Amino acid sequence: MTGNKAAATAVKLARVEVLSAFPVTPQTTITQYLSEFAANGEIKGEFVNAEGELSTQVIVQAASRAGARTFVCTSGPGQLYMHHPMHSTSSSRLPVVMATVHRGNKSMQPDHTDLMSQTWTGWIQLYCENNQEILDTHLMAYKIAEDKRVRLPVAIGYDGYVLSYTAEPVEVPSQKSVDDWLPPYEYQSILPKDYDPATGGRGFGGGGRDPQQGWITHHEALLNALPVIKEINEDFGKVFGRKYGNGLTETYKTEGAEAVMVAMGSLAGTARAAIDNLQADGKPIGLIKLKCYQPFAVEDFKEYGKKFKAIGMIDRNVCLGHGGAGYRLIRNSLYDMDERPKVLQFHAGLAGKEVRVGDFERVGEKILKAAKGDKVSQVEWV
Amino acid sequence: MVVGIRIHGRGGQGAVTASRLLATAAYYDGKFSQAIPMYGTERRGAPVTAYVRVDDVRVRERELVHTPEIVMVLDPLLSTRQTMADDMAEGGLLLLNAAYPPEEVKTGGNIRVATVNATNIALETLRRPITNTAILGAFAKAVGWPKLESIEKAIRKQFSGRIADMNVEAIKRSYDECSEVIPAPVKIAGESEAIAVGGYGVLKDVSSWRVFQPVIDMDKCTGCKNCWIYCPETAIKWTDENKPEIEWRKCKGCGICVNECPVGAIEFKRVEIKNE
Repeated sequence: MTGNKAAATAVKLARVEVLSAFPVTPQTTITQYLSEFAANGEIKGEFVNAEGELSTQVIVQAASRAGARTFVCTSGPGQLYMHHPMHSTSSSRLPVVMATVHRGNKSMQPDHTDLMSQTWTGWIQLYCENNQEILDTHLMAYKIAEDKRVRLPVAIGYDGYVLSYTAEPVEVPSQKSVDDWLPPYEYQSILPKDYDPATGGRGFGGGGRDPQQGWITHHEALLNALPVIKEINEDFGKVFGRKYGNGLTETYKTEGAEAVMVAMGSLAGTARAAIDNLQADGKPIGLIKLKCYQPFAVEDFKEYGKKFKAIGMIDRNVCLGHGGAGYRLIRNSLYDMDERPKVLQFHAGLAGKEVRVGDFERVGEKILKAAKGDKVSQVEWV
Repeated sequence: MVVGIRIHGRGGQGAVTASRLLATAAYYDGKFSQAIPMYGTERRGAPVTAYVRVDDVRVRERELVHTPEIVMVLDPLLSTRQTMADDMAEGGLLLLNAAYPPEEVKTGGNIRVATVNATNIALETLRRPITNTAILGAFAKAVGWPKLESIEKAIRKQFSGRIADMNVEAIKRSYDECSEVIPAPVKIAGESEAIAVGGYGVLKDVSSWRVFQPVIDMDKCTGCKNCWIYCPETAIKWTDENKPEIEWRKCKGCGICVNECPVGAIEFKRVEIKNE
């Protein structure tokens, strides 16, 4: 099945009660599948058509507040259009789950700039490598979002076209196994009364207390989500037989490796093939897949920083005037170490530029050079 | 061993569906597969490309297929172009939708060729020139996999009822009518040339889209201008003799004029593809 079918199937399995979406390429077929499921009764929930993405976000936000399990999905420009209510969804600590089918902001082809530009709205962001992972991550996302220790919305990012329209084998768990693992959602506010919009409180840090308190609580909630994401990933693995590293990051063939490349989303699949080829040639390089971008797994990278002499981050994004998002976070995580590894920056696959296995082999060789202490350029656009 | 397949067709012939059916059938055969469509500003008639990768292990790489072992062409006019064989692997197989035997194929290179008249099969089984299933049976015959039953199972998963039955008939006929696979008669590849695919304004040329074309009987024509009004491509000019004249560059062979003519003066005739 295609990536979009995998997302829609997971939403059906999760027995979502209120869905709202506005069709936008390359997300369109999720909307199509979900309307079909709602029309033929496979989904018992309500599918709400809206005139735009801003409304879809407001609709699921209100439904989530009323106690419904919700789903919304979008791509590129639609993502930017729903930016404003995304803040209030996360500030109100509502467990909305959203699929972002990446579409860049400078072309219709994919890069991660659409979802990454929502970083400051404080949603949990998980990225997927293949269609199986899309299905599994949606199921995990509901469990993470609705966990009383978390209560935050989760955005799932996967590359448009590359995954959304590519068909490949996906194992679909039975409805019963999903029902057993994922109990129905029950609304219960976890915010103090003064802050809870549901009780007439001011929400967002008002109410006569420290006006910063809303930001502090929200920030801490994201950091506290890290162990919960790990735990739910483990639990999913026990029940369904598939897990994704520790839930935050995953290592691939890193044993005995001197250096690693770090990739996100579908690029990680191509990178795996490149690592296989490089290791077959005796090159000691492994792969780290970054699945959970927000909150960021600082502790994981401190461990990697001790093990490897060089880390090359492959960003399918650029924060204009700053650099790659992942690269900056990794370097930041390593700053307090006494002996820091080299960290190189690669930008790849922006605006849908095709990235081939050979490109990553070249990237791997460059990272190994840096590990040996050779002088190489810090930043490269692959 | 990984096998890369490239599928050429036109919007409306079902190249993307062909890629998915093939990937699904290969999966039923016990292989891992990946069907990759190439989306741009596709629309009915414009050339489109899709890719399939089949392997014994789960496919992880996400690049397109750059040196295909097999190329399958759904459109008879595209089948005459050398471009279709570009970047093929040595000894690869080129399966063409063509009304002529493989001995007459002009596409050259160190490749093997086979042909099947998929347009005929499609018109006779589906009543429309959607050639994807009408070539998949031939694929199974020429390549040796996937099993015909696997393709049928994939079709019945995608379609239901009468549509599924018609498509299953198409693959069976196509399996039976596929030619032998022979080494390409032309060894040296000719020059690859682009094909006019549309465009706007003066560049507009949709003539390659036609499967049928309108032929006007001027004696029957009353000069009512109905065809001129309804033509969606403004391909009909009006002459001083109060008669229509078709600008062939603009005519995509949609048949609306044939349908709208109140006196039945326009006939819809099959376009013959010359293999030059």
